Amino acid sequence: MLLVLSEEHKEHLGFLSEVDPAVVGEFGRIAVEFLKKGSNPKIYEGAARKLNVSSESVQHGVEGLMYLLTESSKLMISEVDFQDSVLVLGFSEELNQLLLQLYLENRKEIRQILGKLAPSLPHYHNLEWRLDVQLASRALRHQVKPTVTLKLHLEDGAKRSARVLQTDPATLQHLIHELERALAELKSSHCRRILRNIK
Amino acid sequence: MELSESVLKGLQTLADPNVFDLKSFTTFTEVAFDSLDSSRGESVLGHPELRHIDQTTLKHCHTAATTFILEGVKQNADKSTISSCLEDVRFQNERVDTFYNSFQFIYLFMLLSTDTCPPHITDAEWRLEYCIKNSHVHKVNQPSYLISLNTERAGASSEINFSCTMDQLQDLVGKMKDAAKSLERATQS
Repeated sequence: MLLVLSEEHKEHLGFLSEVDPAVVGEFGRIAVEFLKKGSNPKIYEGAARKLNVSSESVQHGVEGLMYLLTESSKLMISEVDFQDSVLVLGFSEELNQLLLQLYLENRKEIRQILGKLAPSLPHYHNLEWRLDVQLASRALRHQVKPTVTLKLHLEDGAKRSARVLQTDPATLQHLIHELERALAELKSSHCRRILRNIK
Repeated sequence: MELSESVLKGLQTLADPNVFDLKSFTTFTEVAFDSLDSSRGESVLGHPELRHIDQTTLKHCHTAATTFILEGVKQNADKSTISSCLEDVRFQNERVDTFYNSFQFIYLFMLLSTDTCPPHITDAEWRLEYCIKNSHVHKVNQPSYLISLNTERAGASSEINFSCTMDQLQDLVGKMKDAAKSLERATQS
């Protein structure tokens, strides 16, 4: 599948052919850095002064690169498709290779970062457990009640939460049984067929 | 069993056949015990069969009776303790028996319901999904589980929903099995 670049996008990236390939390499590094950690506009000023161009051009160039990388990573386009898509920009062979390398080296990590943007529920992080025997409470003395206290750690983006829960031995067995059934389902022939065929 | 002056007085009134004839006493006992095991029970005050008794006295006796019952349940009082307490406040034998019979039923109920504790897990539901793509990443092609734990606390139920990968679910089940194994070992020793 080819990447379709808008006219504006092509214009922004056109700036890259006017500078040294080493500089493009540097821009590529900055673009990936910004994708991982967020953008820092001060960098644009510094680079603009060194290259003797407007900081807006630098910004467009870097952002153009960022968009190129995220779109390619999102669609997981093949090497060949990437090269063909970039061809339309009319860059030198050296530049094309540079961009391809940038894409291949970083796409896995970029996909991971993009994946975190997708809507999701908090996911499981850890489970701590404790066995207790309840002996008495304010309302009732002389008890012998075994209970299992669980602390379920969940993670939602950067937020971590922990829920303290309790259950009795019989329910614990039932929960284990149900969840083992869930795990076994993944190994069933139906699921395997689907996992194999949708790639 | 230590009981306050007010409770003792209330029980003495309850024992008095001039205030509570046998029929009223039986009705009163039924309603008083009912009020403990379900909030839907009829109220002692304004009860048609107890209307002939002064309402303030009725209220006092009800408080005394329920306090006595709760203390007895809390301390797991046996028949002789209950009987001797009631005899001390001059309950006739018939009335002692009526009272004790109802007391036995309430004990089991209290054992199960009066507890402050973390939400109690009652069930787990699961869903296996295969994510193909989302708005940010295409060709995800990853299976994932959606787990829902049903919990209950003081009659109110709620759910905890979370997702996990196969590895994470294996980790979760593994830890639960560790807990279950420890429990088994502890009960055997």
